[in-house]
Order: sequence, then structure tokens, then C-alpha cells
Amino acid sequence: MSDPVHSDRQASSIPAAAGIGLRFPHHGHVLRAHPSVAWFEVHAENYFGGGPARRTLEAVRRDYPLSLHGVGLSLGTAEGLDPRHLRQLAALARAIEPGLVSEHLSWSVSGGHYLADLLPLPMTEEALDIVCRHVQQTQEALRRPILLENPSSYVQFRHSTIPEWEFLAAVAGRSGCGILCDLNNIFVSASNHGWDPSRYLEALPGDAIGEFHLAGHAEVQLDSGRRVRIDDHGSRVAPPVWSLYEQALRRFGPRPTLIEWDTAIPEFELLLEEAGQAADYINACPPDRHACAA
Amino acid sequence: MPALPELRELQRAFGNALLTASGPQALSELAAMLGVEQPLLAIYRNTAVGTLSHALSLSFPAVQQIVGEDFFEGAAQQFIATHPPTGACLDAYGHDLPSFLAQFPPAASLSYLADVARLEWAVNRALHAPDAAPLALGVLAALDAARMPLVSFVPHPAVTVMRVETPADAIWRAVLAEDEAAMAALDLTAGAVWLLIERAAAGVQVQRLSAVSGAFTARLFAGESLQRALDAAAVAAPVAAVATAGAPEALETTLAEHLAAGRFTAWTEQGDRTS
Repeated sequence: MSDPVHSDRQASSIPAAAGIGLRFPHHGHVLRAHPSVAWFEVHAENYFGGGPARRTLEAVRRDYPLSLHGVGLSLGTAEGLDPRHLRQLAALARAIEPGLVSEHLSWSVSGGHYLADLLPLPMTEEALDIVCRHVQQTQEALRRPILLENPSSYVQFRHSTIPEWEFLAAVAGRSGCGILCDLNNIFVSASNHGWDPSRYLEALPGDAIGEFHLAGHAEVQLDSGRRVRIDDHGSRVAPPVWSLYEQALRRFGPRPTLIEWDTAIPEFELLLEEAGQAADYINACPPDRHACAA
Repeated sequence: MPALPELRELQRAFGNALLTASGPQALSELAAMLGVEQPLLAIYRNTAVGTLSHALSLSFPAVQQIVGEDFFEGAAQQFIATHPPTGACLDAYGHDLPSFLAQFPPAASLSYLADVARLEWAVNRALHAPDAAPLALGVLAALDAARMPLVSFVPHPAVTVMRVETPADAIWRAVLAEDEAAMAALDLTAGAVWLLIERAAAGVQVQRLSAVSGAFTARLFAGESLQRALDAAAVAAPVAAVATAGAPEALETTLAEHLAAGRFTAWTEQGDRTS
């Protein structure tokens, strides 16, 4: 047993098992039926206020390990973090004591306006400095390390000089944050930009990986005939994304793994099925990888 | 090849292309600057506008039902272009939609629409406002009665008191319940009503206040002293009612009800704030 004062209580309280992203339509069901789920993750911004949403979150937190996933801090904003948003996130984390806190390698705020999407950053030294500074600022405000999630994207910037996987590894190395490895995002971006998803995975530093995300995506055809994968979290996890997950488990060992579904949210049963499938992959992971992750 | 944009400049260009009314034009310019296909950037614009429009529809369900989904989406798109959100917490987005709708020419024939929107915003506030400890009952007991008129209160952030010119509460209930009979029975000319909207254990509660109690409560909620609120109530009361409903004893009961329901979080007297 490690010294409880120095043990990593925050990172250890989310099990390396399959969890589910909890959304409003399922609040009532979870409170009433208390389904067997290893852990839940919620979007932090939906609980910045008080009232019934906060009461639900407190009840879920009493019964399940809980992770806070931010979608609006905008770590890549050149003009600086919104101090109010950071204060609200820190206050929620203080009140809820989540097992993990995560955010995205992206930006959403410009000119004081929230652009309501996770927008792509040019992978430049300038952006790297900005993201590292903001991750450090966030970690200081929260007094804990966060996980940084790789984005999905539809455009690349021709002035980018750093491959995304190297950029992520550099932020982790410089700021001490972990990496939330979203396998659907890797697949979507790799498909849109002609990257090799396996090479992306191989390039990530294994000891920094703190969580996996799995979700569904859509594929559309533009007028030009070009096909684009869109990260809409509106369907089951696609077979090639499961394969990539299997590969990630072999390389990194089991980690907390989340099923995300945000548009056309289905019955809770279907989310349980997806989580069950993720659990099967975790259980099938070679035992030496389990030992490695423990 | 044009100069590479610095990140701040690039993000300003994205912001213009995604949310402003000049978006389509700005989107073309951004695509040219970045050397990417415009439809790829349009995916981001569609996601941003769709997310915000959806957030508004969740906060204003009765307004959406009254005008229909297509009309609502059109209005939402114009609102988003002129009033983009200033924060990422979308429960707090839409504060200005009621005043936007009041000035929105295509909705001019729906005299009650902005009132229903104001009510829905108050309901949204009752749902999502921060938690706050109510002022303890009896905290004023120690106060010298002579100083009572100088006291003013801080309202709970989840409570709203408002005057609407149309029966917005009855419309709101009938629309959400899809109650045709209630809708047919609505009298839009019945005159102004005072509404009190708050968070209660059983959910959000919307109730009517009398003209006198409403005028009194609105002044208290605006942070004015008890004496000034009583004066305002006396003005609001019809002459015949002053002796009864407008009397200080009746409003004392109203004040006691506000305190018992936890509608205040603090009080001030002569500049001292005590919670």
C-alpha cells in the first residue's frame, strides 16, 4: 500500500473499465434503476449552475466513480483563458471531487465569443506555447493534473510544423498533463487527412495515457465528391475504431474507457451494450498488459 | 502565398466566419486564406450554429412550439449572428432572446411571444441559477421595529418576479401541455399580470401575485428598502383596495411568505450587509 497522503487518489478512483458518458435524457433512469456501470463521465459545463442538475450530479457521484470532461475552456485560445470559466470549473471540481478532469486540444473562444465547437489549432510552436501555458494555468487552478484529449478535425493548416501526435506528447512532457486518447477522433482525423492511425498510436507516450474515448461518427460526401468523416457521436462505435481500440489496449494496457453518445441519444440499454463490448476487449487484453497498467 | 496568420488573427477570422451575419462571405475569405475547401469549414459553422440553436430550443420550448421549428430556427440563426454567446455555459445563453423577439418584425403579430420568452428565461434561471443559502427565518427578529423600513434584501438568484402585459403563464402552460381547450379559453386582453418564478423542491414553480403584492415584491427584488417597496405598493393599489390588500399588514404577510420560501439570501440596513 502506498502512503495515502502521497497516493494518487484522483487518478486511481476511476477504474480501468468501461464507463458511459451520462447525458440529461438518462438522469432519471440512472437515479431510479441504478444500472451496473463501472463509472460515468459528464460534460462539466452542464453543471456549473445549481438546482436539480447539480443535485443529480451529487447523487451520481455518491454511487459511481465520476469524471469531469470540459468542453468549453478553450485551451488553445490565443487571447487567454476566460478566468470566470476556469473559476467555475475549479469550483465544480472542488465540490464534486471527480476521479479525472479532462479537456481538449482545441479552441472555442475568440473575441470574447464562444464558437460552440471544438475548433482545430495550427500545430505551430506558437500554439504549443499557448496550450502548454493554459494547461499549466488550469492545473494550478484545479491543483491537479488534467488529461488532454486529441481532437477530430476536418481541416489542416498549411503552416502547421508539428505532427499532432508529437504536439500532444510535447504538451504532456512540458506541462505534466496526461493524454485522453480518443480512438474515434484518431480514426476520423487520420481518415480525413490521410494519416496512418497506427503510427499516431505508436507515437503517443504510453505512460501519459490516462483514458480512452470511444464514439460513433458519420461519413458525408461533399459536392466536390470528397468524403469526410464527421465526429458526431451519433451512432455505435465503428468496426475500424474497435480495431484501433484493440491495438491501443495491446500497446498501452487497459485504461478507463468511455462510451460517448451525444446526438440522437439512444435508450440507455444500447449504451450498456457498447460498454459491454468495450469491457470484452479489456478482458481479452493479454494479462501482461494488465500487469503493466496496474 | 499570403503571410501566415498569427493564432489570434486566425481565431478572429474563424469567429467572423462561424457566427456573424457576414459568415458566408467571411467563410469564403477564410477558406482562401487557409487554402482549404470552403465546405470543410462550413462543417464547423453548421456545428456551431446547430449547437447554439439547439441550446436555445431547450431553454425556450414553448416559444418554439408557438412559432414552429422552422420559424424558430430562422429566428435563432439571426439571434446567434447578432448576439453570440459570451461564455461556454449554454444554460446561460439566451438572456437577450426575449427582447430580440419583441423587436423581431416577423413575430410582430404575436403580441404575447416576448412575454412567454421572458417567462421561459425565468424558468431557465430557476432551473440553473447557482445554489445559495436562504436567509434564515427570524434573522430580522432582533431588529428594532423602527429600523425595519430601512432594510433591503438580496434576492435568491433562482427567483424572478416580473410583470407581463399578457397572460404568459396561462399561454405557457397550455402550449407545453398541448391543451387545446385551455388555449381556446385564453383572454389576451385580460390585462397585465405579476408572476413569481422560483425553484422549489418539487420543481420550478410559477405563480401569480396580486398587483399590489407584485409591485411591492418587484421593488424588494430590485434591492430597494422596505419603505420604498411599501410606497410603490400603495401607488399600485386601486384606491378602494388600499385599505385592504395594500395595507402594511397584508404586505407584512407577503414579506413573511418570501422569507419562509427562502426567496432572499441576505439583508442590508444602512449599508451593512448581513446574511
